[in-house]
Order: sequence, then C-alpha cells, then structure tokens
Amino acid sequence: MSRKEHSKQLSESEIIALAKTDQKYFGSLYDHYFDPIFRFVFKRLGGDEETAGDLTQQTFMKAMANMSKYEDRGFPFSSWLYRIAQNEVSMFFRQQSKVYSVAIDESRIQEFAQEADIFSSHMSMEDQDKLVEMLNGLNESELELIELRFFQEMSFKEIAEIYSVSEATAKMRTYRILERINKQWKNEE
Amino acid sequence: MRKFTVNREQKNLNPTDAQVKRHKDFSRLHHDYEKLTKRGKKPLYRDPKMFMFLLVIAIILLLLFLGELN
Repeated sequence: MSRKEHSKQLSESEIIALAKTDQKYFGSLYDHYFDPIFRFVFKRLGGDEETAGDLTQQTFMKAMANMSKYEDRGFPFSSWLYRIAQNEVSMFFRQQSKVYSVAIDESRIQEFAQEADIFSSHMSMEDQDKLVEMLNGLNESELELIELRFFQEMSFKEIAEIYSVSEATAKMRTYRILERINKQWKNEE
Repeated sequence: MRKFTVNREQKNLNPTDAQVKRHKDFSRLHHDYEKLTKRGKKPLYRDPKMFMFLLVIAIILLLLFLGELN
C-alpha cells in the first residue's frame, strides 16, 4: 500500500504523528492545507501571485522542518500553519526597502467602518481613503488583528486559535482597536 | 513596510483554482527541503572511530604483506 493510500485511512492526528518521523507523510498535510494557506497569503499580499507562491512554499518548508517540535495543544493543526504563514508574510513586509502596497476591497473597508461605528451607509472615496490612512497608522500587531478579522474574514475563534489566546481576548483586543479608530475619526471630524 | 490602499482597479484579491494549482507542488518542496537540510559527508579525519578502524586494517594488511615478503 502506498503512503498516499495509507494516509487516506488515517486520522489527522495519526498523520501528524507519522509526519514527525517520515517526511513523506507530510505530503498529505500539504495536500490538505496548501489551498487555504495559499489563499490566505495571496490575500494578505493584495493579490501578488508569485510572492504568494514563494511564501506559501516557505511556510510549508518551515512547518516540515519543525514538525518534530509540533505539539497538539488543543488547537487545530491549521492554526499552527496560519501562524507560520502570518510570520512569513510579516517578515516579508519588514524586509521590503520600499513601501509595499496591499489592496483592500471597498466592501471590506465599508464593513470595517460599520463595525467601528463610523458609517452605516455608503462611504465616499475621500472617507475611504481617510479611514485607510488611519489604519496605516496602527502598529503592526494591531494591523494584523484587523486584517485577520475584516480582510481575511476570520471568526474570533479562528483568530484566537492562531494567536493561542481565548476567544474573549481576541474579541477584546479587536474592539479596543475599533474604539480607538472611532474616537480618532470623531476627533478629526 | 506595507501600506493599505483601496482596490479601485478592481484587482482580483482571491486566487483562482488555476493559480492555486500552479503553485502546489509537494515534490518540489520535498526536493528543496532535502537540498537545504542534507549535510555533506563527514570527512574521514573528523571521524576518529572510522579513522582508527581504517588505520588498524591498513596496519594488518601491511603486516600480512611484510610477512608474505619474509
């Protein structure tokens, strides 16, 4: 029986245990998680396909190299991969000598504005630009949180799993940022 | 450093299945990983056990050869 066929009969935790000692079993994890990780990286980069491909491969390379250190702490395996991918993309941004532009859809900005209680109806282009400028003023960890929640459209549960925190903590951190944006917006009006 | 901008050019921010497929290649990943992690063979002089073993064999062969000559 080939490893691929054998993997199909195993549970994920069994495959993870085997992948720690035999890299060929890592292939099943790669097959299963490549798509969501690639989509995640692609979106974070604002649609840069080639860089997304490279960073996704790097993510899996790191995961493969650190498989023996992976511990099941009650969070899904995917959250570990998302965390590695998140770090890879952030490192890529830090290494850029020039400013790297990441495009966000207008609908996402609109949703963010509604959640921050800034706008409930349609925003003008100027207001969208103003809000994006405010977002660019946030620090890196705050931006990452906003990105995951509003631009990657992840649930608080998924965000909590990536950061290995409770759902309540992820929610609280996000709403604190929204409150600050809301205050800043009202002060500038 | 990165900066957010509004996607007014209507750039596709979600990859198509074809784009995902184009980059999915486990054999390439495995090959790259092997290339990166495979260590060069340990030189003989850095392996004292192997060095001593080969030295003893060489001495035995030399003694046998000298014994044959005598």
